Amino acid sequence: MAPSNPLANWERLGTSFYRKIPVYYSLFDEDVELENYIVAGAPYGGAIALYRDESKPLRFRDAQPGKSNIDIYSRSGKLINRLNWEHGTIRGLGWSDQEELLVITEDGTVRRYFGLYGDFTSFSLGNGSEEYGVRACRFWNSGFVALLANNQLITVSNYNEPRPRLLAQCPEGEVASWSLIPPAYTLSRSVEVLLAVDKTVYLVDPTEAEDKVLQNGPFKHASVSPTGQFVALLTAEGKVWVVSSDFQTKYSEYDPDSRVTPRAVEWCGDDAVVIAWEDEVHLIGPNGAAARYYYDGTVHVLPEFDGVGLLTNDAYEFLHKVSDVTEAIFRLGSTSPASVLLDSIDLLEKKSPKADDNIQRIKSSLPEAVDACVKASGLEFDAHWQKRLLKAASFGKSVLDLYNSDEFVEMTEKLRVLQAVRDFKIGLAVSYDQYMRLTPEKLIERLVNRREYLLAIRISEYLQLPADKIYVHWASSKVKVSTVDDEAVCKLIVQRLDGKPGISFEVIAQAAYDEGRSHLATQLLNHEPRAGKQVPLLLNMEEDEIALDKAIQSGDDDLVNYVLLHVKSKLPIASFFRMINTRPMASALVETTARDEDTELLKDLFYQDDRPLDGSNVLLSDALKEPDLPRKQEKLHLASRLLSDSKDPTLVLHQKLINESSQLLKVQEALDKDLAERSEFFGLSLNETVYRLIRSGYGKRAQKIQSEFRMPERTYWWLRLRALVAKRDWGELEEIGKIKKSPIGWEPFYNEILGAGNTKLASAFVPKCTNLPAEERIEMWVKCGMVVKAGEEAFKAKDVNTLELLQGKASGPAAVEIGRMINQLRPKK
Amino acid sequence: MAPFPGSDADYSKDKARRDLLNLLEGVRGKKNLVISQGLAGPVGLFVKFSQLQEYGVDRVFLLENGNIDSTQRNVVFLAYAEKIRQVRAVAEQIQRLQRNSSIDHEFSIFWVPRRTLVSNNILESTGIIGDVNIAELPLYFFPLEQDVLSLELDDSFSDLYLHKDPGCVFHSAKALMDIQQRHGYFPRIVGKGDHARRLADLLLRMRKELDAEESSGLTGLSSRGLLPSASTESLIIIDREVDFGTPLLTQLTYEGLIDELVGIKHNQADIDTSIAGASSTPQAQESSKASQQAKQGQKRKIQLDASDQLFNQLRDANFAIVGDILNKVARRLETDYESRHTAKTTTELREFVTKLPSYQLEHQSLRVHTNLAEEIMRNTRSDTFRKILEVQQNDAAGADPTYQHPLIEELIARDIPLKTVLRLLCLESCMSGGLRPKDLENFKRQVVQAYGHQHLLTFSALEKMELLQPRSSATTMLIPGTGTQTGSKTNYTYLRKNLRLVVEEVSEKEPEDIAYVYSGFAPLSVRLVQCVLQKSYVMSLMKGGPAAHANTASPGWLGFEDVVKSARGSTFSIVQKGDDKAVRARQTLSGNNATKTVYVFFLGGITFTEIAALRFIAAQEAPRRNIVICTTGVINGDRMMEAAIEKGSFALAEA
Repeated sequence: MAPSNPLANWERLGTSFYRKIPVYYSLFDEDVELENYIVAGAPYGGAIALYRDESKPLRFRDAQPGKSNIDIYSRSGKLINRLNWEHGTIRGLGWSDQEELLVITEDGTVRRYFGLYGDFTSFSLGNGSEEYGVRACRFWNSGFVALLANNQLITVSNYNEPRPRLLAQCPEGEVASWSLIPPAYTLSRSVEVLLAVDKTVYLVDPTEAEDKVLQNGPFKHASVSPTGQFVALLTAEGKVWVVSSDFQTKYSEYDPDSRVTPRAVEWCGDDAVVIAWEDEVHLIGPNGAAARYYYDGTVHVLPEFDGVGLLTNDAYEFLHKVSDVTEAIFRLGSTSPASVLLDSIDLLEKKSPKADDNIQRIKSSLPEAVDACVKASGLEFDAHWQKRLLKAASFGKSVLDLYNSDEFVEMTEKLRVLQAVRDFKIGLAVSYDQYMRLTPEKLIERLVNRREYLLAIRISEYLQLPADKIYVHWASSKVKVSTVDDEAVCKLIVQRLDGKPGISFEVIAQAAYDEGRSHLATQLLNHEPRAGKQVPLLLNMEEDEIALDKAIQSGDDDLVNYVLLHVKSKLPIASFFRMINTRPMASALVETTARDEDTELLKDLFYQDDRPLDGSNVLLSDALKEPDLPRKQEKLHLASRLLSDSKDPTLVLHQKLINESSQLLKVQEALDKDLAERSEFFGLSLNETVYRLIRSGYGKRAQKIQSEFRMPERTYWWLRLRALVAKRDWGELEEIGKIKKSPIGWEPFYNEILGAGNTKLASAFVPKCTNLPAEERIEMWVKCGMVVKAGEEAFKAKDVNTLELLQGKASGPAAVEIGRMINQLRPKK
Repeated sequence: MAPFPGSDADYSKDKARRDLLNLLEGVRGKKNLVISQGLAGPVGLFVKFSQLQEYGVDRVFLLENGNIDSTQRNVVFLAYAEKIRQVRAVAEQIQRLQRNSSIDHEFSIFWVPRRTLVSNNILESTGIIGDVNIAELPLYFFPLEQDVLSLELDDSFSDLYLHKDPGCVFHSAKALMDIQQRHGYFPRIVGKGDHARRLADLLLRMRKELDAEESSGLTGLSSRGLLPSASTESLIIIDREVDFGTPLLTQLTYEGLIDELVGIKHNQADIDTSIAGASSTPQAQESSKASQQAKQGQKRKIQLDASDQLFNQLRDANFAIVGDILNKVARRLETDYESRHTAKTTTELREFVTKLPSYQLEHQSLRVHTNLAEEIMRNTRSDTFRKILEVQQNDAAGADPTYQHPLIEELIARDIPLKTVLRLLCLESCMSGGLRPKDLENFKRQVVQAYGHQHLLTFSALEKMELLQPRSSATTMLIPGTGTQTGSKTNYTYLRKNLRLVVEEVSEKEPEDIAYVYSGFAPLSVRLVQCVLQKSYVMSLMKGGPAAHANTASPGWLGFEDVVKSARGSTFSIVQKGDDKAVRARQTLSGNNATKTVYVFFLGGITFTEIAALRFIAAQEAPRRNIVICTTGVINGDRMMEAAIEKGSFALAEA
């Protein structure tokens, strides 16, 4: 076949060119009457969905009432799948970036078909959609907006966790047309909707509906450019306006001279607008320049971000702006270096010496020329011109001394991939720019969705991308379709996937389980190396014990908790306990959770496990929380009984102390009643109670409690000392000092009283500290400021050195006194 | 050959900040931030409030206070998804706001460090999962210092040893996996303790799972992770359980003492303004002067980290010499300051002026630390402190504990804080393998009478943690020489002798052994690390002479297997092998002389003294090795006790 003229189908539009590239021919048979179908195309040249337009009359011969389908075709017209549709009136048909088909019915039910083969999830729009009914939907690459019959707008911006949200309340009135601006291009970061109502247009975001105050409505079409900068409007008089999306500037106006309202107004890239009637398409460029195309049959416009796809029965064409590089190379009379470089290839093949002349002429800008050729090759759809341009680039760079060939190499790789997927058998009509935006990984995903496993694996190997997902997908569908017995399928899958890294057997097992082959699922799960991954599926399969074990194995406490939560709600409590009590981690986690939320469960658990101490502790902490004495007593009583019933000798003390606390509470209540106006003693510890009693001057009662609770004598003395000091009851302390012996010695008395600042009384205790060495007593005297006494002590100990030191500290008569002592001690010579 | 420049500390700091700010940016407009208490402090380690404000945060609330209001439409929650209680609190508050507020709120939840199944479950059952935006904020290690990475999990100690909830082991494993993915696998994992073993097993398992996930292995980026690291020598995991004794002692380094007396949280300490001086920034001072004067005894947060040069000098020193250092610095500062008089030429003068700000900064820090040191001194001189220390030192040295009992009883009667009493009892129990049942009962009764009967629960908790136990007749812990049996308890008696834990005559000024941090007692945990890293030194300590035949290069526990058996829990040394060829190739490429990093991970918490001791080792190993200290959190004896102490009391709730 002779190479096509690169300039074929170029159309000048103002200062730039547009071209319409035929990608595939003879798509549909005659009996597919495109005019009767609603057509939606997945972004990036993906699949197209056809659904019979119910508003169109049916021709008699194919009248099959009540039976309708959504047909999914590739862009080359190959039927991929046919979905039976019996779920009501479709009000929205669209695609996401991931090539998921979204079908929205009148009652607000959204079905998301993923993987092209009929797997779907569904959710409801809510927000009054059942009541009023959905009227229409508009899609962007990761979400959609639904318009209800009451002009309310509902948006869903994430299909994985769909959260239908209302936009601001919209004005009443007939909506003539509407369109949306994707969140990526709005200031509010939320989707915004243009609603043409009456004569004007409203811009609706989540918080408000703003009237843009226009006069030329009702606008029968409104369309936002791919980057959200411009809006094309079809006015009541049938003119096309292009305005900025803030409606401040009008850029151009075009009059198509047609009475008939166009069927579609779409953007072709960011610079041109396509308006389409049944069989006529106008391309409107800046400043109202236009090109017209005529067709024999119905044409459907499938917008992309870099152009539009035009779909007829005979062909699928891609209409887009000719890029600057391409234009510079192919334009008639072009003298750009790249163009010259391309020419020199011809000359080279003719072995003409002019080839070298050409090269010499553009030598200075050769690197740019090579770059341009590489870039332009990517934008071509025709293999001939791709090769040609790459050849030119390769020739050019062979002349250069230094050139980084990375881009060249990458381009050849990309082109190979593009060529492979554009093949009519695959039918992914993806342009170079679209491929760049889609990314290779997503492209492979699309191939996998079409079950083109071999090609997908080849491409991922070629591009060195992980292939695990492809294998998993293959295995999953194998599980679904194969009819041989479980053993064989499992063996086959394991054999094929052996040694392939990153295989998630869990996903395959899930697929098997979904097919109802739970035995196969269990078998497959055994090959999953990641314990954690197996858990959710095992739970679904009601293999609770195995799930719990696997969760524990993974060490992930979240997973264990999750299983426990699940199991607890399902099993009777006794079997639940049986399940956890052999698994320490599980029972520890149950205990921790229950401690916060469910102490009854805890008690049952401890009872079942025969752990009386833990059980009684739960009751004890319950007792702490109870609001009044009788209830506290009751809990304490229960706690104590639990321990005594167990007859465990090591718990005797614990039980005794619980009883003691109950007794103490009783005493304290009585104290409160007798002595205090409000609760003052209740809840204190025993020591605190005694301390407070003494400090408040109820020494007798304190003593009674001491004996009642057999408080150690030493403790009691300490408490009394501290309380009296705090009370500044020096008289009482002096009284105590007259007793001969103290169980805690007398030094604490000295220290505490001195600490309280009473040096005089403190000093009274110094002589009683007979067990201390003399030096310390000296120090004690000094601290009380009684140097003479200290001196006397030193004198008794016959310590001259200390005396001399003391003398330095003393003054007046004290110094004299000490001097006297020193003299006495000095050996008389 | 570090694939990313910068230390682990800088890296994690940067990453954490970037992640958080990115998430905040994703929520449009002004927002109120509700943060859980456990995260508020750590988040402050890597991002400043002013920065949050730049990203639209209007006000910050604490999740635990439950006082979030409707001042902003956007509400962002930041909480641990692994803590079920926090998840419930978040759910409740969202429900409350939805009920009470007239505004249609926009809720976002950032789960730290990952979104959990349980959190989904709870949000689902409360019916709000559809109304909130959920994101993950993978925060693991918070850098406390260049050489200290902490998970800052406040509850890790109680979770691990009291509730037996191994959640933080998993958390740690994830965090360490991060490091492995950055540097390559730890060529060797050495460890001691049952939980440590568990952590190591998890690491091995996660590696296997990662290998399995490693997509097709063709990609250049991920294959790096398949190899053992060339820049890392090993990971040493020490389970806190192995050495409960050490943290129960009062820390005697400067930083340790501040922690004991004031408390350091996330590098910050709340210190009385009478000590720390009023707020350091002058403008803040002016604005709040009135209120400052009104409230005496107000607290001020001071930052305690390496940015304070003076503190950096003081932090790891034994408190005994802090005074000297302060004096020296004060004198140097003065002479520096006086140099302005000697400045003759203008250039000299200019030089002085340029240095002036740094002088002032230093001066200020000197004033704070002098005051702080004085305050600490006042404490350490007190009668009770001396008595407590006496008991501790005797226990640590292995003296007959029964002689200490009257002293402890006295302290109880004098109503010193309960934590301190319990610390002493637990210390005795740890060091000598339990208390005699009769003594224990006696103390139980006394403590319960002194501090309230609710502490019966406290004792149960302590026993569960195996911190305080009756000495069973079967254990022959006190008889030396039986150390070879692998006990369920750490045999301090045996180890004290065989690892020379008690070092007499330790010089605090120029320490020669890590024992300086406790003025004569070497922390067992760090001694164990030395057994791995400084074999010849420990050998010489044991034999009392220079190392004879110890092969210093021998890896793992080699040479100490028998000794180490006397410490609690399993002992292991695992080599992580990779593709041999690749390893060898890399070794030839990078050579063997480069500094290698040793990660020391303290599972269950580390004390400041242990950090100081590890830094002491790091300084000795300096050119060859670089030690990075990792932990689940910083603890001390008080915090250990707080985990067990029952907070409730019998008192009736006041209306």
